[in-house]
Amino acid sequence: MGVGFVVGVLGVLILSHAAYSTIQYRALLKITEEEFSGPPINVVVELIAGLMLCMWAALTVPGKFLSILPHSDENRVVALPENLDFMIFNHRGKAIPMGIDAKLK
Amino acid sequence: MVSKTEEEQVNRLESQVENGGGGAWEYLCLVRKLKLRRSDKVLKFGLSILNDPKKRSALGPEEWTLYEEVAVAAMDCQCLDVAKEFTKVLQKKFPGSKRVGRLEAMLLEAKGSWAEAEKAYMSLLEDNPLDQIVHKRRAAMAKAQGNIPLAIESLNKYLEIFMADQDAWRELAEIYVSLQMYKQAAFCYEELILSQPTIPLFHLSYADVLYTLGGLENLQTAKKYYASTIDLTGGKNTRALFGICLCTAAIGQLTKGRNKEDKENSQLQSLSAVALEKDYKQRNQSKHSLLTATLKSLKLS
Repeated sequence: MGVGFVVGVLGVLILSHAAYSTIQYRALLKITEEEFSGPPINVVVELIAGLMLCMWAALTVPGKFLSILPHSDENRVVALPENLDFMIFNHRGKAIPMGIDAKLK
Repeated sequence: MVSKTEEEQVNRLESQVENGGGGAWEYLCLVRKLKLRRSDKVLKFGLSILNDPKKRSALGPEEWTLYEEVAVAAMDCQCLDVAKEFTKVLQKKFPGSKRVGRLEAMLLEAKGSWAEAEKAYMSLLEDNPLDQIVHKRRAAMAKAQGNIPLAIESLNKYLEIFMADQDAWRELAEIYVSLQMYKQAAFCYEELILSQPTIPLFHLSYADVLYTLGGLENLQTAKKYYASTIDLTGGKNTRALFGICLCTAAIGQLTKGRNKEDKENSQLQSLSAVALEKDYKQRNQSKHSLLTATLKSLKLS
Protein backbone atom coordinates (compact mmCIF):
# COMPACT_ATOMS: atom_id res chain seq x y z
CA MET A 1 0.00 0.00 0.00
CA GLY A 2 2.91 2.32 0.73
CA VAL A 3 4.32 2.15 -2.81
CA GLY A 4 0.94 2.73 -4.43
CA PHE A 5 0.28 5.68 -2.18
CA VAL A 6 3.66 7.30 -2.97
CA VAL A 7 3.15 6.74 -6.69
CA GLY A 8 -0.31 8.30 -6.44
CA VAL A 9 1.07 11.40 -4.69
CA LEU A 10 3.81 11.63 -7.32
CA GLY A 11 1.21 11.46 -10.12
CA VAL A 12 -0.83 14.24 -8.54
CA LEU A 13 2.29 16.38 -8.18
CA ILE A 14 3.20 15.84 -11.84
CA LEU A 15 -0.33 16.81 -12.91
CA SER A 16 -0.28 19.99 -10.85
CA HIS A 17 3.15 20.85 -12.24
CA ALA A 18 1.78 20.41 -15.76
CA ALA A 19 -1.15 22.69 -14.91
CA TYR A 20 1.21 25.33 -13.55
CA SER A 21 3.36 25.12 -16.68
CA THR A 22 0.32 25.57 -18.88
CA ILE A 23 -0.74 28.66 -16.94
CA GLN A 24 2.75 30.14 -17.27
CA TYR A 25 2.77 29.32 -20.98
CA ARG A 26 -0.51 31.14 -21.42
CA ALA A 27 0.86 34.17 -19.54
CA LEU A 28 3.89 34.14 -21.84
CA LEU A 29 1.60 33.98 -24.90
CA LYS A 30 -0.42 36.92 -23.57
CA ILE A 31 2.79 38.95 -23.41
CA THR A 32 3.71 38.07 -26.99
CA GLU A 33 0.02 38.40 -28.03
CA GLU A 34 -0.26 35.02 -29.72
CA GLU A 35 -3.19 32.66 -29.65
CA PHE A 36 -3.34 29.80 -27.23
CA SER A 37 -3.76 26.77 -29.47
CA GLY A 38 -2.72 24.09 -27.00
CA PRO A 39 -0.13 23.38 -24.37
CA PRO A 40 3.46 22.72 -25.53
CA ILE A 41 4.48 19.16 -26.29
CA ASN A 42 6.47 18.58 -23.12
CA VAL A 43 3.46 19.53 -21.02
CA VAL A 44 1.37 17.00 -22.97
CA VAL A 45 3.96 14.29 -22.28
CA GLU A 46 3.97 15.28 -18.62
CA LEU A 47 0.16 15.07 -18.52
CA ILE A 48 0.15 11.58 -19.99
CA ALA A 49 2.81 10.41 -17.53
CA GLY A 50 0.85 11.87 -14.60
CA LEU A 51 -2.31 10.17 -15.87
CA MET A 52 -0.61 6.76 -16.03
CA LEU A 53 0.84 7.09 -12.54
CA CYS A 54 -2.46 8.20 -11.01
CA MET A 55 -4.39 5.41 -12.72
CA TRP A 56 -1.95 2.76 -11.57
CA ALA A 57 -2.10 4.08 -8.00
CA ALA A 58 -5.91 4.22 -8.05
CA LEU A 59 -6.10 0.56 -9.04
CA THR A 60 -3.49 -0.74 -6.59
CA VAL A 61 -4.16 1.24 -3.42
CA PRO A 62 -7.77 0.16 -2.60
CA GLY A 63 -6.85 -3.53 -2.51
CA LYS A 64 -8.66 -6.60 -3.78
CA PHE A 65 -11.67 -6.03 -6.02
CA LEU A 66 -14.87 -7.92 -5.15
CA SER A 67 -16.70 -9.97 -7.75
CA ILE A 68 -20.02 -8.61 -9.01
CA LEU A 69 -21.30 -11.50 -11.10
CA PRO A 70 -24.26 -13.08 -9.30
CA HIS A 71 -23.31 -16.56 -10.41
CA SER A 72 -19.58 -16.53 -9.72
CA ASP A 73 -18.53 -18.95 -7.04
CA GLU A 74 -18.11 -16.24 -4.43
CA ASN A 75 -21.58 -14.83 -4.85
CA ARG A 76 -23.64 -17.85 -5.81
CA VAL A 77 -25.95 -18.75 -2.93
CA VAL A 78 -25.97 -22.52 -2.56
CA ALA A 79 -27.67 -22.76 0.80
CA LEU A 80 -29.70 -20.51 2.99
CA PRO A 81 -28.65 -20.20 6.64
CA GLU A 82 -30.54 -22.64 8.81
CA ASN A 83 -33.38 -21.06 10.72
CA LEU A 84 -31.62 -21.16 14.05
CA ASP A 85 -34.25 -19.05 15.77
CA PHE A 86 -36.78 -21.80 15.17
CA MET A 87 -34.52 -24.72 15.98
CA ILE A 88 -36.34 -27.47 17.84
CA PHE A 89 -34.65 -30.12 19.91
CA ASN A 90 -36.99 -33.08 19.82
CA HIS A 91 -35.78 -34.52 16.55
CA ARG A 92 -34.69 -38.04 15.73
CA GLY A 93 -31.15 -37.21 16.81
CA LYS A 94 -32.34 -37.77 20.37
CA ALA A 95 -32.36 -41.51 19.82
CA ILE A 96 -28.85 -41.64 18.39
CA PRO A 97 -26.13 -41.78 21.06
CA MET A 98 -23.49 -39.14 20.67
CA GLY A 99 -20.51 -41.47 20.80
CA ILE A 100 -18.07 -38.87 22.07
CA ASP A 101 -17.15 -38.42 25.65
CA ALA A 102 -18.65 -35.00 26.10
CA LYS A 103 -17.61 -33.65 29.43
CA LEU A 104 -16.58 -30.31 30.81
CA LYS A 105 -13.48 -30.56 32.97
CA MET B 1 -26.56 -16.73 2.62
CA VAL B 2 -23.92 -19.34 2.13
CA SER B 3 -22.00 -18.88 -1.09
CA LYS B 4 -20.15 -21.67 -2.84
CA THR B 5 -16.69 -20.55 -1.79
CA GLU B 6 -17.81 -20.20 1.81
CA GLU B 7 -19.30 -23.67 1.79
CA GLU B 8 -16.10 -25.14 0.42
CA GLN B 9 -14.09 -23.24 3.01
CA VAL B 10 -16.21 -24.58 5.86
CA ASN B 11 -15.94 -28.15 4.61
CA ARG B 12 -12.21 -27.82 4.16
CA LEU B 13 -11.74 -26.44 7.67
CA GLU B 14 -13.93 -29.18 9.06
CA SER B 15 -11.90 -31.96 7.49
CA GLN B 16 -8.72 -30.19 8.52
CA VAL B 17 -9.72 -30.02 12.17
CA GLU B 18 -11.03 -33.60 12.05
CA ASN B 19 -7.65 -34.84 10.94
CA GLY B 20 -5.82 -33.08 13.69
CA GLY B 21 -4.69 -29.83 12.06
CA GLY B 22 -5.42 -26.60 13.92
CA GLY B 23 -8.06 -24.06 13.09
CA ALA B 24 -10.92 -25.11 15.38
CA TRP B 25 -11.57 -21.55 16.47
CA GLU B 26 -11.77 -20.32 12.84
CA TYR B 27 -14.16 -23.17 12.05
CA LEU B 28 -16.38 -22.21 14.96
CA CYS B 29 -16.35 -18.52 13.98
CA LEU B 30 -17.24 -19.38 10.39
CA VAL B 31 -20.08 -21.67 11.46
CA ARG B 32 -21.42 -18.93 13.69
CA LYS B 33 -21.17 -16.33 10.93
CA LEU B 34 -22.86 -18.51 8.30
CA LYS B 35 -25.45 -19.80 10.79
CA LEU B 36 -24.96 -23.45 9.93
CA ARG B 37 -26.35 -26.23 12.04
CA ARG B 38 -23.47 -28.65 12.48
CA SER B 39 -23.97 -29.33 16.15
CA ASP B 40 -21.93 -32.50 16.50
CA LYS B 41 -18.77 -30.92 15.10
CA VAL B 42 -19.32 -27.68 16.99
CA LEU B 43 -19.73 -29.61 20.21
CA LYS B 44 -16.62 -31.71 19.66
CA PHE B 45 -14.34 -28.86 18.60
CA GLY B 46 -15.78 -26.42 21.12
CA LEU B 47 -15.22 -28.85 23.99
CA SER B 48 -11.65 -29.42 22.83
CA ILE B 49 -11.02 -25.68 23.10
CA LEU B 50 -12.90 -25.10 26.33
CA ASN B 51 -11.42 -28.06 28.18
CA ASP B 52 -7.93 -26.72 27.60
CA PRO B 53 -7.37 -23.79 29.97
CA LYS B 54 -4.54 -22.38 27.86
CA LYS B 55 -6.66 -22.18 24.70
CA ARG B 56 -9.59 -20.91 26.72
CA SER B 57 -7.66 -17.94 28.11
CA ALA B 58 -6.26 -17.22 24.64
CA LEU B 59 -9.78 -16.42 23.49
CA GLY B 60 -10.28 -13.51 25.84
CA PRO B 61 -13.79 -12.06 25.96
CA GLU B 62 -14.91 -14.23 23.03
CA GLU B 63 -14.89 -17.20 25.39
CA TRP B 64 -18.46 -16.44 26.51
CA THR B 65 -19.82 -16.42 22.95
CA LEU B 66 -18.17 -19.79 22.51
CA TYR B 67 -19.84 -21.04 25.70
CA GLU B 68 -23.20 -20.01 24.32
CA GLU B 69 -22.56 -21.57 20.92
CA VAL B 70 -21.39 -24.87 22.40
CA ALA B 71 -24.27 -24.89 24.90
CA VAL B 72 -26.79 -24.68 22.06
CA ALA B 73 -24.91 -27.37 20.13
CA ALA B 74 -24.96 -29.59 23.22
CA MET B 75 -28.71 -29.16 23.52
CA ASP B 76 -29.05 -30.14 19.87
CA CYS B 77 -26.98 -33.28 20.47
CA GLN B 78 -28.92 -34.11 23.64
CA CYS B 79 -25.88 -33.77 25.92
CA LEU B 80 -28.01 -31.91 28.42
CA ASP B 81 -25.60 -32.06 31.36
CA VAL B 82 -22.90 -30.31 29.31
CA ALA B 83 -25.44 -27.69 28.31
CA LYS B 84 -26.50 -27.24 31.93
CA GLU B 85 -22.88 -26.81 33.05
CA PHE B 86 -22.24 -24.15 30.46
CA THR B 87 -25.46 -22.31 31.23
CA LYS B 88 -24.48 -22.25 34.90
CA VAL B 89 -21.06 -20.84 34.02
CA LEU B 90 -22.68 -18.12 31.90
CA GLN B 91 -25.24 -17.39 34.60
CA LYS B 92 -22.44 -16.88 37.11
CA LYS B 93 -20.62 -14.50 34.80
CA PHE B 94 -23.65 -12.53 33.58
CA PRO B 95 -26.31 -12.68 36.30
CA GLY B 96 -29.70 -11.33 35.33
CA SER B 97 -28.91 -11.29 31.65
CA LYS B 98 -31.75 -11.77 29.17
CA ARG B 99 -29.55 -13.72 26.79
CA VAL B 100 -28.67 -16.21 29.51
CA GLY B 101 -32.34 -16.32 30.51
CA ARG B 102 -33.23 -17.32 26.96
CA LEU B 103 -30.55 -19.98 27.04
CA GLU B 104 -31.98 -21.41 30.25
CA ALA B 105 -35.47 -21.49 28.77
CA MET B 106 -34.07 -23.27 25.70
CA LEU B 107 -32.50 -25.82 28.04
CA LEU B 108 -35.90 -26.46 29.62
CA GLU B 109 -37.30 -26.88 26.12
CA ALA B 110 -34.61 -29.38 25.22
CA LYS B 111 -35.32 -31.35 28.37
CA GLY B 112 -38.95 -31.57 27.33
CA SER B 113 -40.52 -29.66 30.22
CA TRP B 114 -42.74 -27.54 28.00
CA ALA B 115 -44.83 -25.93 30.75
CA GLU B 116 -41.78 -24.64 32.63
CA ALA B 117 -40.21 -23.36 29.42
CA GLU B 118 -43.46 -21.56 28.58
CA LYS B 119 -43.44 -19.98 32.04
CA ALA B 120 -39.83 -18.87 31.57
CA TYR B 121 -40.60 -17.31 28.19
CA MET B 122 -43.67 -15.52 29.56
CA SER B 123 -41.62 -14.02 32.36
CA LEU B 124 -39.00 -12.88 29.83
CA LEU B 125 -41.78 -11.32 27.77
CA GLU B 126 -43.10 -9.43 30.77
CA ASP B 127 -39.82 -7.57 31.03
CA ASN B 128 -39.71 -6.85 27.30
CA PRO B 129 -42.93 -7.56 25.41
CA LEU B 130 -41.29 -6.87 22.04
CA ASP B 131 -38.50 -9.40 22.29
CA GLN B 132 -38.38 -10.98 18.82
CA ILE B 133 -36.40 -14.07 19.70
CA VAL B 134 -38.68 -15.05 22.57
CA HIS B 135 -41.74 -14.80 20.33
CA LYS B 136 -40.04 -16.99 17.76
CA ARG B 137 -38.99 -19.55 20.39
CA ARG B 138 -42.60 -19.80 21.56
CA ALA B 139 -43.73 -20.54 18.02
CA ALA B 140 -40.92 -23.11 17.72
CA MET B 141 -42.04 -24.71 20.98
CA ALA B 142 -45.59 -25.02 19.68
CA LYS B 143 -44.20 -26.73 16.59
CA ALA B 144 -42.04 -29.05 18.68
CA GLN B 145 -45.02 -30.14 20.73
CA GLY B 146 -46.85 -30.99 17.53
CA ASN B 147 -49.42 -28.22 17.94
CA ILE B 148 -49.04 -26.92 14.39
CA PRO B 149 -52.21 -24.74 14.28
CA LEU B 150 -50.98 -22.91 17.36
CA ALA B 151 -47.57 -22.48 15.75
CA ILE B 152 -49.20 -21.03 12.62
CA GLU B 153 -51.34 -18.71 14.71
CA SER B 154 -48.45 -17.41 16.80
CA LEU B 155 -46.28 -16.96 13.71
CA ASN B 156 -49.05 -15.01 11.99
CA LYS B 157 -49.45 -12.78 15.04
CA TYR B 158 -45.69 -12.27 15.17
CA LEU B 159 -45.56 -11.38 11.49
CA GLU B 160 -48.32 -8.81 11.91
CA ILE B 161 -45.97 -6.90 14.18
CA PHE B 162 -42.60 -7.71 12.62
CA MET B 163 -43.38 -7.93 8.93
CA ALA B 164 -39.80 -7.72 7.75
CA ASP B 165 -38.53 -10.86 9.46
CA GLN B 166 -37.25 -13.17 6.74
CA ASP B 167 -36.74 -16.19 8.98
CA ALA B 168 -40.31 -16.12 10.18
CA TRP B 169 -41.69 -15.96 6.65
CA ARG B 170 -39.50 -18.88 5.66
CA GLU B 171 -40.61 -20.91 8.64
CA LEU B 172 -44.27 -20.16 7.96
CA ALA B 173 -43.86 -21.13 4.30
CA GLU B 174 -42.28 -24.44 5.30
CA ILE B 175 -45.05 -25.19 7.80
CA TYR B 176 -47.71 -24.48 5.17
CA VAL B 177 -45.97 -26.72 2.66
CA SER B 178 -45.82 -29.50 5.25
CA LEU B 179 -49.59 -29.14 5.70
CA GLN B 180 -50.13 -28.97 1.92
CA MET B 181 -51.67 -25.48 2.17
CA TYR B 182 -49.87 -24.44 -0.98
CA LYS B 183 -51.73 -21.20 -1.69
CA GLN B 184 -50.68 -19.77 1.66
CA ALA B 185 -47.14 -21.07 1.18
CA ALA B 186 -47.03 -19.29 -2.20
CA PHE B 187 -48.02 -16.06 -0.47
CA CYS B 188 -45.17 -16.43 2.03
CA TYR B 189 -42.66 -17.10 -0.71
CA GLU B 190 -43.93 -14.06 -2.60
CA GLU B 191 -43.16 -11.95 0.47
CA LEU B 192 -39.66 -13.43 0.61
CA ILE B 193 -39.00 -12.78 -3.08
CA LEU B 194 -40.25 -9.20 -2.68
CA SER B 195 -37.82 -8.47 0.11
CA GLN B 196 -34.78 -10.32 -1.26
CA PRO B 197 -35.16 -10.75 -5.01
CA THR B 198 -31.58 -11.74 -5.70
CA ILE B 199 -31.60 -15.00 -3.77
CA PRO B 200 -32.32 -17.74 -6.32
CA LEU B 201 -33.42 -20.30 -3.72
CA PHE B 202 -36.58 -18.36 -2.94
CA HIS B 203 -37.45 -18.26 -6.64
CA LEU B 204 -36.84 -21.99 -6.80
CA SER B 205 -39.09 -22.80 -3.84
CA TYR B 206 -41.82 -20.53 -5.17
CA ALA B 207 -41.65 -22.21 -8.55
CA ASP B 208 -41.84 -25.63 -6.84
CA VAL B 209 -44.95 -24.61 -4.93
CA LEU B 210 -46.61 -23.22 -8.06
CA TYR B 211 -45.77 -26.36 -10.01
CA THR B 212 -47.32 -28.44 -7.24
CA LEU B 213 -50.48 -26.35 -7.30
CA GLY B 214 -50.91 -27.06 -10.99
CA GLY B 215 -53.20 -25.39 -13.46
CA LEU B 216 -52.09 -23.71 -16.66
CA GLU B 217 -51.43 -20.24 -15.27
CA ASN B 218 -49.48 -21.55 -12.29
CA LEU B 219 -47.39 -23.75 -14.55
CA GLN B 220 -46.52 -20.85 -16.80
CA THR B 221 -45.57 -18.67 -13.84
CA ALA B 222 -43.56 -21.55 -12.38
CA LYS B 223 -41.65 -21.85 -15.65
CA LYS B 224 -40.82 -18.15 -15.49
CA TYR B 225 -39.50 -18.48 -11.95
CA TYR B 226 -37.42 -21.54 -12.83
CA ALA B 227 -35.98 -19.47 -15.65
CA SER B 228 -35.14 -16.63 -13.28
CA THR B 229 -33.44 -19.11 -10.95
CA ILE B 230 -31.31 -20.34 -13.82
CA ASP B 231 -30.50 -16.72 -14.62
CA LEU B 232 -29.44 -15.94 -11.07
CA THR B 233 -27.31 -19.05 -10.62
CA GLY B 234 -25.70 -18.98 -14.05
CA GLY B 235 -27.22 -22.30 -15.01
CA LYS B 236 -25.58 -24.24 -12.20
CA ASN B 237 -28.78 -25.21 -10.40
CA THR B 238 -29.81 -28.65 -11.65
CA ARG B 239 -33.22 -28.55 -10.01
CA ALA B 240 -34.25 -25.46 -11.95
CA LEU B 241 -33.18 -27.04 -15.23
CA PHE B 242 -35.31 -30.07 -14.44
CA GLY B 243 -38.13 -27.75 -13.48
CA ILE B 244 -38.16 -26.14 -16.90
CA CYS B 245 -38.33 -29.50 -18.66
CA LEU B 246 -41.15 -30.74 -16.44
CA CYS B 247 -43.11 -27.50 -16.70
CA THR B 248 -42.91 -27.52 -20.47
CA ALA B 249 -44.04 -31.13 -20.56
CA ALA B 250 -46.95 -30.44 -18.22
CA ILE B 251 -48.02 -27.33 -20.15
CA GLY B 252 -47.82 -29.29 -23.38
CA GLN B 253 -50.05 -31.94 -21.91
CA LEU B 254 -52.62 -29.40 -20.72
CA THR B 255 -52.75 -27.51 -24.01
CA LYS B 256 -52.77 -30.55 -26.24
CA GLY B 257 -55.82 -29.47 -28.21
CA ARG B 258 -54.94 -25.81 -28.79
CA ASN B 259 -51.95 -25.03 -30.97
CA LYS B 260 -51.59 -21.30 -30.56
CA GLU B 261 -48.06 -20.72 -29.28
CA ASP B 262 -46.26 -24.01 -29.34
CA LYS B 263 -43.05 -23.31 -31.15
CA GLU B 264 -41.69 -20.38 -29.16
CA ASN B 265 -41.21 -22.28 -25.91
CA SER B 266 -39.48 -25.33 -27.28
CA GLN B 267 -36.19 -23.45 -27.48
CA LEU B 268 -36.11 -23.00 -23.72
CA GLN B 269 -36.80 -26.65 -23.14
CA SER B 270 -34.24 -27.89 -25.60
CA LEU B 271 -31.61 -25.56 -24.16
CA SER B 272 -32.21 -26.74 -20.64
CA ALA B 273 -32.18 -30.38 -21.80
CA VAL B 274 -28.80 -29.81 -23.42
CA ALA B 275 -27.48 -28.12 -20.28
CA LEU B 276 -28.70 -31.03 -18.13
CA GLU B 277 -27.05 -33.61 -20.36
CA LYS B 278 -23.76 -31.71 -20.27
CA ASP B 279 -23.94 -31.45 -16.49
CA TYR B 280 -24.66 -35.17 -16.02
CA LYS B 281 -21.96 -36.17 -18.48
CA GLN B 282 -19.48 -34.16 -16.47
CA ARG B 283 -20.51 -35.10 -12.99
CA ASN B 284 -22.24 -38.45 -13.02
CA GLN B 285 -21.58 -40.50 -16.13
CA SER B 286 -23.43 -43.56 -14.84
CA LYS B 287 -26.81 -41.83 -14.61
CA HIS B 288 -26.49 -40.15 -18.00
CA SER B 289 -28.38 -42.88 -19.87
CA LEU B 290 -31.20 -42.65 -17.34
CA LEU B 291 -31.36 -38.93 -17.95
CA THR B 292 -31.54 -39.26 -21.74
CA ALA B 293 -34.33 -41.82 -21.44
CA THR B 294 -36.30 -39.53 -19.12
CA LEU B 295 -35.86 -36.50 -21.33
CA LYS B 296 -36.93 -38.47 -24.37
CA SER B 297 -40.13 -39.58 -22.67
CA LEU B 298 -40.83 -35.97 -21.64
CA LYS B 299 -40.37 -34.65 -25.14
CA LEU B 300 -42.83 -37.16 -26.50
CA SER B 301 -45.62 -36.36 -24.06
